[in-house]
Amino acid sequence: MLVLIFSRVAIMVPNVILLTFLLFAAVTSFLGSPAAIMLGEEASPETIAELNAKMGFDQPLLTRYWDWMTNALTGDFGRSYTTQQQVAEMIANALPLTLELALWAIVLGFCGATLINSLTFFRKFFQTFTAVISIIGITVPNFFLGLLLIYIFSIQLRWLPTTGWAPWSDGVLRHLTYMILPVMTLTAFYFSSFTLVYKAEYAAVRNNLFIRAARSKGLSESRVSFRHILPNSILPLITYAGLSLGQLVGGAVVTETVFSMPGMGRLLVGAISARDFPVMLAVGMVIIVGVMVLNLIADITYSLVNPLVRTSA
Amino acid sequence: MRQLSPRMILGLCLLLVITCVAIFAPLIAPLSPTATSVNVFGAPSGQNLLGTDQLGRDVLSRVIYGTRISLQVGASAAVIAVLIGGPLGLIAGFFRGWIDYVLVQVIDIFIALPGLVLALIITAMLGSSVLNLSITLGVVTAPTVARLIRGQVFVVREMLFVEAARATGASSFWIVRKHIVPNTMRVVWSQLAINVAFAIFTSASLSFLGLGVPPPSPDWGSMVRDGTSFLSLRPLLSLGPGAAVALTVFTFYLIGTSMNAAASSNDH
Repeated sequence: MLVLIFSRVAIMVPNVILLTFLLFAAVTSFLGSPAAIMLGEEASPETIAELNAKMGFDQPLLTRYWDWMTNALTGDFGRSYTTQQQVAEMIANALPLTLELALWAIVLGFCGATLINSLTFFRKFFQTFTAVISIIGITVPNFFLGLLLIYIFSIQLRWLPTTGWAPWSDGVLRHLTYMILPVMTLTAFYFSSFTLVYKAEYAAVRNNLFIRAARSKGLSESRVSFRHILPNSILPLITYAGLSLGQLVGGAVVTETVFSMPGMGRLLVGAISARDFPVMLAVGMVIIVGVMVLNLIADITYSLVNPLVRTSA
Repeated sequence: MRQLSPRMILGLCLLLVITCVAIFAPLIAPLSPTATSVNVFGAPSGQNLLGTDQLGRDVLSRVIYGTRISLQVGASAAVIAVLIGGPLGLIAGFFRGWIDYVLVQVIDIFIALPGLVLALIITAMLGSSVLNLSITLGVVTAPTVARLIRGQVFVVREMLFVEAARATGASSFWIVRKHIVPNTMRVVWSQLAINVAFAIFTSASLSFLGLGVPPPSPDWGSMVRDGTSFLSLRPLLSLGPGAAVALTVFTFYLIGTSMNAAASSNDH
């Protein structure tokens, strides 16, 4: 187990370095001189060169990357070019919201897909229901689904607030009413893809001899389904959850924009349109490291649940 | 075999309709997609079935013309993905060894990264146009194609006819061209359809985030974006083009998954 974790972390470190370097090189070389952006269009070339020298923008790429990376490791991502706020502070404010959104989506998608698809009563109805929902969840873009939900639940029925966000400190209930629609929007994709993967695995596990044995010793259908088929069918879901984290991040970016929530996605989109390098780099780095760490967690969970992998590793 | 599943038939019918709408847009659209009028935020009426937008342009005509951009971006992105990912997958799968190891490492890193965020950053660098969007989305999906082709090459290269070809002294290049490529194309076709779906989905999301095809081109994602502020007044400004994206993505997804199902039932 420890060997597995160590070997995975050992691969992760060079990957993170490589990717952040690519990100740094791409962002800093393509988007033009940061000094020119900071000083605006009317600045003379001399003042731009002066600021470049003062801020160290004229240094070679590797030197600048090294400086940025060593600062980033101590938690210093510099200041935003547009708001002059500490980037680390901006990230610390935005990250919890995005993590909460993603966590809800994974947990609800996972539980919903496994439980509803294991039900044995009204099986035909639920199977058709999840089949239809899963195609909708995969093909309907997040932004459209979000707007549709706003239109139905906030504008027509007036049950929920349209957009915005309330922190936990405003009261749990208030917080949750703002979270319902974004979470539904983001969960749709996860629920759908989990359903597809789970159904296929469920059908395969069902044909095993031990299921026939469980049934013939007199267990009820629902006990067979939940106690014998379900635990043996969830492994592929864990792999899938790890692989589709990228889509989750993308979905979160769009969902936050639709619902005007102050999370990482909005931070990134705002930084890109304002050409705000430090924020872009920091958000990019958080996403890269986050996706890799979560992938690692998915792998570890997999080996904890699956004894075959655990012993061979 | 060779009997089309109902899903496949539905998908193909929808594709036919969408393609016709794109090709014959000038004949179908009641008005010009870019002509402005004084009738801003017009309610849906006989003349403007979906109403008019903030510049008085006919929304239905814009949705119809938007089909062109969407299909263009989707199809070219999918082809670019195969052109980049195909050779990489073939090389990795056929030569194996360290080339395969290195390529798979790189491919896996890019598969793990969020495609949308990657596309966001690349479009921000390149600037947005139909061509740049296609290239960006093609590059973003190329690793998935490479992975898929590599897997298929692994299966095909162990087949007896490949061994026979090698025994008769055929060169690697000849084997790849005559045996490996034709036998991997089968999985590529279904992935191509899924990639078109992904590209249309993602390009619409990018436009929604403000990084899509620049105005005044009638682009679905940007139309949804422009309409969001007026959702309670004129919901169709956003929901109309949004539904068009969903339907197009649905069509290609349906075709891709039915092809996939047909291919795997053929295997057994």
